[in-house]
Amino acid sequence: MSERGHRTGLALLPLAFLLLMSILPLLRLLQEGQGAVSTGLFADRYLQWRVLWSLLQAAVSCVAALLIGLPIAWCLARYRFPGRSLSLRLLMLPFVMPTLVAAMGVLALFGPQGLLGINLQDTPWLLLYGNLFFNLPLVIRAACEGLAQIPASRLAAARTLGATPWRVFWRVEWPAVRPWLLSALCLVFLYCFSGFGLALLLGGQRYATVEVEIYQLVSYELNLADAGALALLMLLVTGTVATLYAWLERRLAAPLKVDPVLPRRPQGMEWLQLVAALALLLLFAGLPLLAVLWRAVQAVAASGFSLLHDEEVLLALGNSARFSAMAVLLAALLGWLHALAARGSLWLRALAFLPFVVSPVCVAFGLLLLYPQWSASLPLLLASYALLAYPFVARSLAGALDSLPRHWPQAARSLGASPLRVFARIEWPLLRPAFRRGLAFAAATALGEFAVTLFLSRPEWLTLTTLIYQRLGRPGADNAASAMLLACLLMLLALLAFLIIEWPSAAERQLRKES
Amino acid sequence: MQLFKTTSLISALLLAGLTHAAELRVLTHSSFAVSKPLLAEFEQQNGVKLSIIKAGDAGEMVNKLILTRANPIADVVYGIDNTMMGKAATAGVLLPEAAERKSGQPQLPGATSIDYGYVTLNYDKAWFAKKQLPLPKTLEDLTRPAYKDLLVVENPATSSPGLAFLLSTISAMGETKAMAFWARLRDNGVKVSKGWTEAYYTDFSRNGGARPIVVSYATSPAAEVFYSKEKLSTSPTANLLLPGAVFQQVEGAALVKGGQQAALARRFIAFLRSDAVQKDIPTSMWMYPVQPGIALDPVFQHAEKPAAHTTPNQQQIAANSAGWVGKWTRIVLKSGQ
Repeated sequence: MSERGHRTGLALLPLAFLLLMSILPLLRLLQEGQGAVSTGLFADRYLQWRVLWSLLQAAVSCVAALLIGLPIAWCLARYRFPGRSLSLRLLMLPFVMPTLVAAMGVLALFGPQGLLGINLQDTPWLLLYGNLFFNLPLVIRAACEGLAQIPASRLAAARTLGATPWRVFWRVEWPAVRPWLLSALCLVFLYCFSGFGLALLLGGQRYATVEVEIYQLVSYELNLADAGALALLMLLVTGTVATLYAWLERRLAAPLKVDPVLPRRPQGMEWLQLVAALALLLLFAGLPLLAVLWRAVQAVAASGFSLLHDEEVLLALGNSARFSAMAVLLAALLGWLHALAARGSLWLRALAFLPFVVSPVCVAFGLLLLYPQWSASLPLLLASYALLAYPFVARSLAGALDSLPRHWPQAARSLGASPLRVFARIEWPLLRPAFRRGLAFAAATALGEFAVTLFLSRPEWLTLTTLIYQRLGRPGADNAASAMLLACLLMLLALLAFLIIEWPSAAERQLRKES
Repeated sequence: MQLFKTTSLISALLLAGLTHAAELRVLTHSSFAVSKPLLAEFEQQNGVKLSIIKAGDAGEMVNKLILTRANPIADVVYGIDNTMMGKAATAGVLLPEAAERKSGQPQLPGATSIDYGYVTLNYDKAWFAKKQLPLPKTLEDLTRPAYKDLLVVENPATSSPGLAFLLSTISAMGETKAMAFWARLRDNGVKVSKGWTEAYYTDFSRNGGARPIVVSYATSPAAEVFYSKEKLSTSPTANLLLPGAVFQQVEGAALVKGGQQAALARRFIAFLRSDAVQKDIPTSMWMYPVQPGIALDPVFQHAEKPAAHTTPNQQQIAANSAGWVGKWTRIVLKSGQ
């Protein structure tokens, strides 16, 4: 089989999946709404403001995430300290927080009755803070990974030649970490641009994004023509960003030199840098989680764990674990196939972003229109989770495949190793970290269930996230308290998942010991 | 061979599934919470498997029903209310019942009423006590400087209670005056949230927000006592039953047009009106039962039941609500941008 044919074969499954789960639903929704689009839809100043605002807040969030995330990532990548690997895993927790709980955490700190005594509610600052809370993990994890890939010998050479740390950073580290950062920032942009939970919650209706407008048009006004037009406009913007990114990523990809820099113990003033970085991390990613934890502890102190003695909690815990595991397995399979197929193909690479760029509201309602008989079935729900989770695996692996040194497998083959052996002994060990990072994000996505409220649900499918929303659907201190407790349970489950996924292999543990 | 075995096994299972107990698909809003033992009893008595499908709030649910009318996703729907009934009837997604069930009050023309409640304002008692601010006496008071930035409402375009509240103001004042009132409310700093949960848990001063008055339900103060750690003796919130700020919401059930199992579906609706379920509804869904003579849980003494309400009839709502919401959006959200 030619390489091209080979690639098409691999791409078949993920492409069919994207077609069935993303493209056809959107087309079906557009077909249903084939009426006239309201005249002056795009001339509406209110709407123009929303598009502009969506763009602006996404761009500002990107810049802020870069400025704050990079120094933190540098310290995490370069310095060894007790709890380092735990911090890297804890870092992913914001990702699984249901938006509403995160907002309650943020308000517990910076709200009108916040612990910190400053009220930022209804200001753009709080919205920006919320965006950073959710998106810093993406930037920090990616930058850490990128910084770890820089060959130690190159850094050492630069230092020997007398370069200052700043110069080393600008001339050696920055160019190497750029593609990794770009990839993360692209995602941050897409999330902030099309995300609709947090902006609305923290900023009020004034700061609603276009996605909110689409949601309103589809699920309340049933105005599918206008919704479709807006969804296409959004797709144009996000699609452009995604393609631009895919192009840049391919241009910037450099083969990996397997000589990674190992973190070392900070010395003297470097401790200060590290402490400052960790403090910054705590401020942006940790505080809201701690606020949730604090409220949960208060609830337990007041009434023990009785709030958790409930068959619903057990059911939800079991379902969350089960559904996420299944979604992650599906995401792993699709991610591998897509990544292998996308080697060297720009359009396949850009397509891995599709689930992030198509409006989730439109997909959810499109699926309902397209497969009404399956709409309340578990496979469809799991497939929707996998749809949002698998691009993480695909993108992470595609990046790793790019930087795979080409001549190593060739050398092994010429020495008589079977393709399987080459994969097991050379390619897999090099790809493993990226695969695991992708899986961890996939698991976080599945556990966090971004679009869960958009889909049909059944009581027997109760998950932690749905239970949290259910509890917060009623008044009463007990309900708020149990929502906080459940959120902590969700964090624990996520942490467990990350530990299992990123469990260091024997070789990695050995390496760590030696360093 | 293995493949053959597997396929035949799967088809045998599928067939077994098809011939097994009949399945009744029940579409509900996400607040549906009839106790499990009651549902199990219904399943057992009728030899039926209930598939409860939750489809978001009442507005989303009706739209999902309309979108899938060619291939209905359910046989019976519960939770449709007087704000959405007209829309569902116009779209023809419900099976009109020949004989309306007349027992129980209030009624929901076009469907069978199951329960009812009131959307109204709740206030944070502690906040008003601390500020020593007298409670507003009329809706108009809320537009005065003394009450600036104190109210949070839900967006009627994305929330059922939000829509209900808007409708009650229009019913009380008439469209023109109501819109002028909303413009004054906007100038006096009314905050608009996406839905009830957002308003209650992030904007209401009782739960970490800054606004001591929130659009909620008349039963919420009772629920506050029911779901309190230390079993409060009085509710931290109370109803603010201003004239023109009370909407009577009637929820009902109906057969879905094109659905199956019509006989079972009717039995399910009768089950929802049975004494056992009607008794269960007040403390599980915080609505009042439509059947007379059902004793309420003592906790309901904390929920003052409104004596009067301003609620447009179903036809008025069906004919005008989209237009009203559009006008409201232009006045409250779009101006000043």
